[in-house]
Amino acid sequence: MMLHYFLRRCFLIGFVFVALTILAFSLSYLFPGEVLTNISGLTDIKPEQRQSLIEYYALDQSLLQQYIAYLNRILDGEWGLSFSSQQPVLSEIVAVFPATIELASYALLLSFVLGIPLGLFAAVKADSFLGRLISGITLVAYSIPIFWWALLLIMLFSLTLAVLPTAGRISVLFDIPTTTGFMLPDIWLSDISYKSEATLDALRHLLLPAVVLATFPTTVMIRFTRDSMLAVLEQSYIKTARAKGLSRAQVLYHHGLRNALLPVIRQIGLQFSTLITLAMITEVIFSWPGIGQWLLDSIYQRNYPAIQGGLLVVSCLVIVVNMLTEILHTLFNPLARKA
Amino acid sequence: MIRALLSLMVPCGSVLILSACQPDIPETIQQGMVYCAEGSPESFNPQRVTSGTTIDAISQQLYDRLLDIDPATGELLPALATQWRLSQDGKTYWFTLRPDVQFHHTAFFSPSRALNATDVTFTFNRILQIDHPYHAIGGTNYPYFQSVDWGSLVKAVIAENNTTVRFELARPDSSFLSNLATDFASILSAEYAQSLMQLGTPELLDLRPIGTGPFFFKEYKKDQFIRYYRHPEYWRGKTELTQLVFDLVPDNAKRMAKLLTHECDVVAYPRNAELKLITERPDVEVQSQTSMNVGFWAFNTKKPPFDNVLVRKALAYAINKDAILDAVYFGYADKAKTLLPPTSWAFYHDLAEQQYDPVKAKELLAQAGYPQGFRMDIWAMPVQRLYNPNALKMAELMQADLAKIGVRASVVSFEWNSFRRKLSEYEHDSVLIGWAADNADPDNFFRPLLSCSAAESGSNRANWCDPNFDNLINQALLTADIKQRRSFYLTAQLYIDEQMPLVSIAHSKRFQAKSIKVTGVTINPYGGISMAAARKSL
Amino acid sequence: MKKFRLYFEEQNRGPLTQLWQQFQRQHAAVFGLIMFSFFLLLTILAPVITPHNPYLQNPDLLLLAPSWSDQGLVQYPFGTDDLGRDLMSRLMKGATYTFGIALITVLGSLLMGLALGAMAGMSKGVKSSIFNHVLDLALTIPSLLLAIIIVAVLGPGLWNTTWAIMLALLPQFVHGIRNSIQDTLKQDYVAAYRLDGASNWQVLRYAVLPNIWEHLTVMATMALSTAILDIAALGFLGLGAQAPTSEWGVMIADALDLIYLAPWAIALPGVLVFAAVLSVNLVGDGLRTAMKKRREN
Repeated sequence: MMLHYFLRRCFLIGFVFVALTILAFSLSYLFPGEVLTNISGLTDIKPEQRQSLIEYYALDQSLLQQYIAYLNRILDGEWGLSFSSQQPVLSEIVAVFPATIELASYALLLSFVLGIPLGLFAAVKADSFLGRLISGITLVAYSIPIFWWALLLIMLFSLTLAVLPTAGRISVLFDIPTTTGFMLPDIWLSDISYKSEATLDALRHLLLPAVVLATFPTTVMIRFTRDSMLAVLEQSYIKTARAKGLSRAQVLYHHGLRNALLPVIRQIGLQFSTLITLAMITEVIFSWPGIGQWLLDSIYQRNYPAIQGGLLVVSCLVIVVNMLTEILHTLFNPLARKA
Repeated sequence: MIRALLSLMVPCGSVLILSACQPDIPETIQQGMVYCAEGSPESFNPQRVTSGTTIDAISQQLYDRLLDIDPATGELLPALATQWRLSQDGKTYWFTLRPDVQFHHTAFFSPSRALNATDVTFTFNRILQIDHPYHAIGGTNYPYFQSVDWGSLVKAVIAENNTTVRFELARPDSSFLSNLATDFASILSAEYAQSLMQLGTPELLDLRPIGTGPFFFKEYKKDQFIRYYRHPEYWRGKTELTQLVFDLVPDNAKRMAKLLTHECDVVAYPRNAELKLITERPDVEVQSQTSMNVGFWAFNTKKPPFDNVLVRKALAYAINKDAILDAVYFGYADKAKTLLPPTSWAFYHDLAEQQYDPVKAKELLAQAGYPQGFRMDIWAMPVQRLYNPNALKMAELMQADLAKIGVRASVVSFEWNSFRRKLSEYEHDSVLIGWAADNADPDNFFRPLLSCSAAESGSNRANWCDPNFDNLINQALLTADIKQRRSFYLTAQLYIDEQMPLVSIAHSKRFQAKSIKVTGVTINPYGGISMAAARKSL
Repeated sequence: MKKFRLYFEEQNRGPLTQLWQQFQRQHAAVFGLIMFSFFLLLTILAPVITPHNPYLQNPDLLLLAPSWSDQGLVQYPFGTDDLGRDLMSRLMKGATYTFGIALITVLGSLLMGLALGAMAGMSKGVKSSIFNHVLDLALTIPSLLLAIIIVAVLGPGLWNTTWAIMLALLPQFVHGIRNSIQDTLKQDYVAAYRLDGASNWQVLRYAVLPNIWEHLTVMATMALSTAILDIAALGFLGLGAQAPTSEWGVMIADALDLIYLAPWAIALPGVLVFAAVLSVNLVGDGLRTAMKKRREN
């Protein structure tokens, strides 16, 4: 049963990968301009190079063979050159990717830490003033356009109160060598003498973007946890437990919480994909040097090899994370395996 | 976690105030300065570029030139060359080099010797000799030197001995020394070039620079920042600043925000609209400097209908410059009537001003055979420049002006580097752009902007090659007599006014905003900024 | 039927009336509905009722402050922008773009979704299995990301954005419609109808559709709030509508340069986007609650 399930998932992941690479591959043909230029990223191809390049990219062969050649290059890590910098696309992605993951993970963490307790509270005390307040604020925060919200926070905390920085991951004067690409681990791994100051500075830079990015997922988490808890509380086994004489707190903890939080696991994956999208906007506003800003810049610059590579990475990531959380969810919840 | 945070807070009293209380922070950070620049450099070698942004970021910080220009008077001063002389016939120059000038010592290169004549000959032969091993590395574009036509002017650059360099010219040229003092004529290290060639990575010469300037290169993260550290053996004495970071912030509002939150110490090009706001705050101030520049609207004169002089004149009449000056420059600029700013000695004071006259414009259009007008593109540069602080807004204003004479203009703008590349391939109909002079010589306006050689190298935005005009500016260089030169330049200005390859719009002052803690950042009216004398009080 | 009643009108009221009764008991939802109608009116009437031409530049009145400040003028209630265009007229006209186009995209997407969802819901076997897998994948990608991908291929612009968002909303419609169709098909009355000899089309037209339209409305409101946010976000990022179009997101991006001089030029379009999304969400929430309550009764 379980094996069958995993095989199906593996098959699905393979299918996804093929579908996404076909999409990315066809982009070279969909984008305006010459296919050879779009594929290689070379802006200045000399006539004497042309023939050997055409052979290298298998452009003189059938589409299927071109696609296989493309697939081989993708797996070899050869993703073409970026139009604007003439550097390999893959190395640029590797350089910007950790920043996005870092920001998104902190925001995800924040949304869970805030969202789950608040959602549970709103469910248990649904009719109290605080419960209503939470639900009200949630609806408001759910409707707020993130870019506008970010600007409001910058206007308040950076420009008016002048207490938080507006851009970047750390003050540019701190010379932190890049080892992992994640700022906080990099600071701890470096041999600088001012680690605590650097950490503090990095946290100050992180605060506003993380809060902005966490706003939407937090509201979704609150709503989701509340609805899930409310649904559980109406179940007959809760009533049974109460009837057995368990205290309210015991019932909530032993029977309510576990069953209500199970579907929340699946939310990790869904929230993560929302986060990656919203991170693009957040990164642009806070000049956070992540893949979102990089990808949007590439779109402005019509930097086709970069767009192609960026889309492939982002969509693969989103789908793989989704798939993983679904598998995780299944492991915890035998009921879901049947589906 | 919380306790760790608390313990961090205690020495300073507050989490939120970072400055003024860090005993552990090394000098490289306390005496480090952040300059927020408006764009990324295209190269780290000034020979390869013309853009002011790149020059600001690299020239004065990393390199020195043989001569410098006195910012106040425009006179030439000794720099790497301590003295120079000229032969009787005006065709040979000798330069004596300063002794004991050290190159940068960095993680990627350790110089074994001080500056000598081979460095100078390498620097210029790379540009001039087509068969030089470095000539074609990274392309054969040396836009500034091509636009002033050094290829035909400079016959040879020869090292007579270790400290003397001889330049042989094909003809006398009164602008030669001025050109040698521009930021583009920065001196590179021949030894570094040689070692790179041996390593098989010659292209790094323009990407990982070695120079003699006040700062050395540490790292560059594209579109993020450039990090420099001070050069301890700088021949003028080491700088007060220990670290200099160019934070690359193309967005105007963000740059301004960073100044107010003190993330930047100095901010390039605050927008004219915000100058008043800055002067009202106690912690920041504005520096201004008259600057030799011009913002203009250039037509692609090889593309119909702009090859018709009547069309160009009609478009010039259709534009309301006064409205543009108010809305775009907020009054912080002079209306331009010719390319040269009024402070230039060759400025044509009596030239009639271009009038705003839509009726006349429509007549001219009808005469040219376009009574119904036509469609055109206005390319608006995506970045803010001194000579044009907001090209998009200017384009929107002009769009409305042009609609009145039946010309339907669309505004085109995209990312700066591709924008410049497509401009030099002459894909545009017309473009809003401008020029900031590199030296005090009037030739520095006419030749790089409108000569045939500039049209070839791609920096002539009007794609205008007129032998009559070239003749005028060439003759102006053959004589050293300033009165004769002036009369040539007056005729040239009149000729531009008749042919209208471009419409000059405004000459602006250059501003920079800075924290009051920082002093000594100088804006040079003829080019890049210099941070060599800057200091930061705590 | 706790009490004995002589007349049975109360129970015999139509489902719509019952829904409305439940709906109007929620003050927030009614408030949302009023706001929603206001935006709808504004969208339709904007070209007629703007006090000034939203694109007319007035070089004599640059950056005029709103009328509530001392420097403002009554003719320009929200002041002017840096090109002297009346901000109020631009905001009103913006409703046509942000709100109006969001409505169009949702309608378009709903119709396409109905067609595809019906096909998916009525079909069985391998075809439907593959289709479902593809759909599940597309669903995991958020609509904004999908829209960005589509815009990256088509190139920036307002119409491309419209298409992109329409396509990006499609998976959730297809998914929702397919599921509710399949749920309905399991009902006994459908089986009975089939036994009467109804064709697939007749089943769909007379048995399924009348029973899922409520669900469709709720889905549409959710999609509408997403569409408004996405259009504004794409406009803000410079991928959607382009200046000088007075789309709200574009207006915010335009006003960024004026953040110190005219903060209201950022605040006002943002408030409108926010209010529009909030009104849609309030109505959607209200509808859902009302339906739930009606079913419970």
